[in-house]
Amino acid sequence: MHTIITVIKKELKDTLRDKKTLFSAIILPALAIPLLLLGVSSLQKSLIDKEKGKELKVVLMNAPEAVAQQFEDETIRLLASQNLDNAKDSVANEVFDAVLVFDSNFKKNVDSLQTGAVQLYYKSTNIMVQRRIEEKLTAYKAVVLKERMATLNIPAPVLEPVRVETINVASAKEQIGETIGGLIPYIFILFCFMGCMYPALDLITGEKERGTIETLLTVPASRFSILIGKTITIALVGVVAAVMTIAGMVIALNLGSGIPPSFMDTIGDMLSVKFILMLFAMLLPLSFFFAGILSAMVVRTSSFKEAQSYVTPMNFVVIVPAMVAMMPGIELNWQLSFVPVLNVALATKEIIAGTIHLGHFAVIVLSLIAFATLSVFISYQQFSQEKNVLK
Amino acid sequence: MIQVEQLSKQYKLTKKQQQELQLKTNSIFAVDDISFVCKPGRVFSLLGPNGAGKTTTLRMIATILKPSKGDVLVSGHSVVNESVEVRRKIGFLTGSTNLYDRLTPEEIVKYFADLYGMSKSDFKERKELLFEQLGINDFLKKRIGQLSTGMKQKVSIARSMIHDPQVVIFDEPTSGLDVITANSIIELIRNCKKEGKTVIFSSHIMSEVDLLCDDLAIINKGKLIYSNTMEAYRQISANQSLTETFIQLVQQNQAQ
Repeated sequence: MHTIITVIKKELKDTLRDKKTLFSAIILPALAIPLLLLGVSSLQKSLIDKEKGKELKVVLMNAPEAVAQQFEDETIRLLASQNLDNAKDSVANEVFDAVLVFDSNFKKNVDSLQTGAVQLYYKSTNIMVQRRIEEKLTAYKAVVLKERMATLNIPAPVLEPVRVETINVASAKEQIGETIGGLIPYIFILFCFMGCMYPALDLITGEKERGTIETLLTVPASRFSILIGKTITIALVGVVAAVMTIAGMVIALNLGSGIPPSFMDTIGDMLSVKFILMLFAMLLPLSFFFAGILSAMVVRTSSFKEAQSYVTPMNFVVIVPAMVAMMPGIELNWQLSFVPVLNVALATKEIIAGTIHLGHFAVIVLSLIAFATLSVFISYQQFSQEKNVLK
Repeated sequence: MIQVEQLSKQYKLTKKQQQELQLKTNSIFAVDDISFVCKPGRVFSLLGPNGAGKTTTLRMIATILKPSKGDVLVSGHSVVNESVEVRRKIGFLTGSTNLYDRLTPEEIVKYFADLYGMSKSDFKERKELLFEQLGINDFLKKRIGQLSTGMKQKVSIARSMIHDPQVVIFDEPTSGLDVITANSIIELIRNCKKEGKTVIFSSHIMSEVDLLCDDLAIINKGKLIYSNTMEAYRQISANQSLTETFIQLVQQNQAQ
């Protein structure tokens, strides 16, 4: 025990002085979600606003007066062009944003209660143009429809035989669980793994690369205790990374103005002591599982480069089950409770939604502890082989 | 006291390694049935060309590697059955050892003292003595990464001597060091001898051996080809330099 604590103290001090670890385990996870949420959403918003306010250059050909009226808008500049081919080219070259060609019988058809045809030329790379033009045409359609109903003396309900009112009985908690519930575990599992990765390389392979391992093997302290001390340090950094991710998420949600207050209350409720305890009960063994696997993988490597080439593909192994959990229709059951990573992701969703089955939860925690023990055992076996430990 | 008794280290070879080395056997002896004794208060030198098995032998004495056959008794404890006891008695230093760059000299020495299970008062006393002797106090709080090679070597020495070992094992301790820095190692070996410790070091620098050693052994291709006192070795090389005698002995062995 004394050795384990000695090793943890030393390794933590060493690790926390390393800027690379600090960045990948603490700063990056803490900033990731705030940046993602605030950055992307505000960027998207500003782009959309910019697109909306942008002046559109539109050519109307053979347009009836009533239609042209709808396009009288300060953000739309109507231009004239007589030649369709030239106009089409101009759309392709982005001189014009859109060209609308009305059928020669358009007005006649519309007036005689028939369908008038109009062709809209636009460039598909800009979806906002299409949307804005269609808005105008829809407005015109509504005007014509209203006139026709008045002429034919049709009351409005005739055209609306069914009106559906949707009432979602899922609580706000369940809705959040379903929508962002999948994303939360995905991100913290990923950062937990990445948090373990760098220290594993540094504490195991680094010791070999620097040639410090030899001296370490001549001390009377047991090799098992030394390895356990190292594994605990690696797992701790992983847990810290996951915690930082969640903390970052809480901060981001508090800053984000787009969320209705009722949802904010629910999110506040979700971050209850119970939620945090349940999350930690899974996170700890998960982190040890990662630490054990990563150590076992890198023990035989003798340089950082070599170790990285083994470990980098593992990212995918972790990402895939975490992504599967985001798919709709996948729910926690007895079988999936035994699948590491996937079980944590699914359970987190259910804990957020408040629908977690305690039996499943127990199986998850116990199976993770079993997997973590196994992975640490394998890593110890690898560590005990002299051909692995020495360069 | 180190008693090396019929010590062997055998490595299995993969098919690919067999082809590369053009060998028909599926194993190779890095160290093959060697025996010698290092006595307390004397400096024992292990000589041999590159790849002779010096490092492997020293690693087996230091319990880093397990012998395939034979045994080593360090202060009466077997490296095979009582490795923990052996580790308490030995201090191990290699020329290639590095330190943890992000820790300070004090933190590194404390870490090893804790791994040796030293009491606080023992550590303090021993640390003050070593740091004073080696002049580490000048850069006590600097991180290893900021130190020069010579300073690092001093910290390495303090680290391997902190628990006051009875037996010290040096694997090419001066390789890659300038003469001034190498001198600190030579001083250390002299001090160890004065204190009555058992010292074994490997080298291929004859001047160092001439300066320090009382007994020597030469190994080549894993086999012991010469073992005697330094006196006796000086006698057989009466008409030539010590290095020439060394080369001659190795070449004679290779011709056989």
